Amino acid sequence: MGTRILTVEDDERIRTAVKLALEDEGWVVDEAGTGEAALENFARTPPDVVLIDIMLPGIDGFEVCRSMRRTSDVPIVMVTARVDTHDVVAGLEAGADDYLTKPFAPKELSARIRALLRRARSLDHPVGATLHFGDLELIPDAGVVKVDGADVHLTKTEFRLLCELASSPGRVFSREVLLERVWGYGYFGDGRLVDVHIRRLRTKIEHDPANPRHVTTVRGLGYKLLP
Amino acid sequence: MVATTPDHRPADDTAPSPAPAGDHDGVAADARQRSLLLRALPARRLGLRARVTLVFALGALLLSALLAGITFAVVRTNLLAQRESTALNQAYTNAGFVRNRLPADAATLNGILASLRTTGGSNPIIFANGEFTALDPANFGEDSLPPALRAAVLELGPSRMRFRRDGQPLYAVGIPLRSVDAAYFEVVELDDTADTLRTLGLALLGAAAATTAAGAALGWWASRRALRPLADVSQAAEAIARGRLDTRLEGTTDPDLGSLSTSFNDMASALQARIERDGRFASDVSHELRSPLMTMAAAADVLANQRDGLPERARQAVDLVTVEVGRFNGMVEDLLEISRYDAGVVRLQLDEVHLAEFVSQAIGAAGYPQVPIELDAELADAIVVADKRRLARVIANLLDNARKYGGGATAVQLIRGEGTVEIAVEDAGPGVPVEDRDVIFDRFARGGVAGRRGAGEGVGLGLALVAEHVRLHNGHIRVEDRPDGRPGARFVVVLRSGAP
Repeated sequence: MGTRILTVEDDERIRTAVKLALEDEGWVVDEAGTGEAALENFARTPPDVVLIDIMLPGIDGFEVCRSMRRTSDVPIVMVTARVDTHDVVAGLEAGADDYLTKPFAPKELSARIRALLRRARSLDHPVGATLHFGDLELIPDAGVVKVDGADVHLTKTEFRLLCELASSPGRVFSREVLLERVWGYGYFGDGRLVDVHIRRLRTKIEHDPANPRHVTTVRGLGYKLLP
Repeated sequence: MVATTPDHRPADDTAPSPAPAGDHDGVAADARQRSLLLRALPARRLGLRARVTLVFALGALLLSALLAGITFAVVRTNLLAQRESTALNQAYTNAGFVRNRLPADAATLNGILASLRTTGGSNPIIFANGEFTALDPANFGEDSLPPALRAAVLELGPSRMRFRRDGQPLYAVGIPLRSVDAAYFEVVELDDTADTLRTLGLALLGAAAATTAAGAALGWWASRRALRPLADVSQAAEAIARGRLDTRLEGTTDPDLGSLSTSFNDMASALQARIERDGRFASDVSHELRSPLMTMAAAADVLANQRDGLPERARQAVDLVTVEVGRFNGMVEDLLEISRYDAGVVRLQLDEVHLAEFVSQAIGAAGYPQVPIELDAELADAIVVADKRRLARVIANLLDNARKYGGGATAVQLIRGEGTVEIAVEDAGPGVPVEDRDVIFDRFARGGVAGRRGAGEGVGLGLALVAEHVRLHNGHIRVEDRPDGRPGARFVVVLRSGAP
């Protein structure tokens, strides 16, 4: 069965054009014109990737995103109107993995979707067994994270981010490096993606997210996972 | 009063002199010249503060001069009267003394004169035996007595007279001694009084000068206090002109200033509303354009995917649509960005950026990997704080501009300045004429700048956006000739090396 993408967009013409473009990539595309329809569709036929426009009539994109996140770690791409408003950070904090600003080129969209699918499917390193960092336990091949022995549920992007940091414990990873390795962005990727995902990750694996013991910030340089 | 006369001179000088503007009245051609003159006049007039200060100084001067004059006159009168009455009393005492010794011969007269009790400046003269005998005949002999006084004393009775001899103020008293057929005179020098008066005059002059200075200082201070609200207004107006449209004057309880600040704030609000409305219009239009554009871009993409299966004519059409949709996209993005600047909502997303790496990445991302970077060795590890996306856009737009109008960029240079770093983009084109170097950064710059309109894919917004981005980084941009003397333009972005 092919990759299934759910497009949530209230403008019918945009929706149709995007659907056509994504179908050209060989993907199956489901459409939803409202947040309610999107959640219904999401529950009926779980997609592999969700594309959500923030501006929706009825329940807005943020709420749709949060609802989906409650039950799923599916990769979500937010579509925002502007790059320098709070929308981006709010969307990421609602659980989105990546974002695009309107108008975006369909090529850019398919590149983003491919990057999300790639990391959702292949967590190719590190090889082998269980990694321990104090009370934190990571089994990369199995996609399992435990804190104090209890399973912690991470989204695929958060998990990928943690694995990257765990590939070299103690080493400082710059935002650019993380953007490239986790999101497949070049030098000009948005550092806020990393910052918000680190923040989300901390709320899940740290006892006190305000004073992180595992993933720490190295001011002006980036982030590192303490060995 | 004499002493204060020189102080009146500045007052005379400042009296308004008739303007020579009306010399050629009645000539029609002069009307324009006159209006020019009239317009030039206020510029030559003193400022409000200077005028207030001047009025205060003049007022203080006038008042202190008047007081000084009155004081001087009263003191002088009293002093002279006192001196004269002392002299008069003494003269009567001495006259009585002389009368008791007379008649006497010449030698005795001299003895009498020498034994008289005279205070300083009193010179006794005795008229006896038909001739005058003086203690100091050389200076105060018979000749020192005014003939009128002599006559009055000898013929009428005791007399006194104030007079001047060679500019020296003198006071003469004469008392006839009828019983011994003689007369006693005394000439008193009033010099010491004059000295006192001169000292007093100087003191009053000094006091008047000090008062005038104090008046001027008071005027300066008072006018500053009075004008401080105006300075606030001026600051607020400047802030608004710089784009801080939400600047308002603080409320005041002063009834005189209340209406000023209210009407100023009303004006600012109206201005802000209007500018925001205009800005929103551009922004709304651009936003509205984005939806159809999105659809067109996706549809064009689908068409482009089918390109190979299309007939030749349709293929050409698809290519045109694809390219134009891209251009359209660029325009709308530029318009949106510039309307964000107009609305004042642009917030930089600042990061610490490794300059050399950043510029190299920006050049690559803009699609000009062949353009060489010339780097000051000391900048190899320089860090600047910048909005990466926007600064990359600056470099991309300058490179685009060089490609379109300068035959392509020949180099990007990174130069260290005084607390700044400079990013220079050079080309080998015709350069930018001096008169166009400012307007080239205006939106939709045209006319004299034709052929070099900016890089926004022909919209004319590319260089305007560059200028806005750089300005928000607290930097500035200029365009100049190439320093090596070859033809070509050099766009230089100057950034502070610290935080913007």
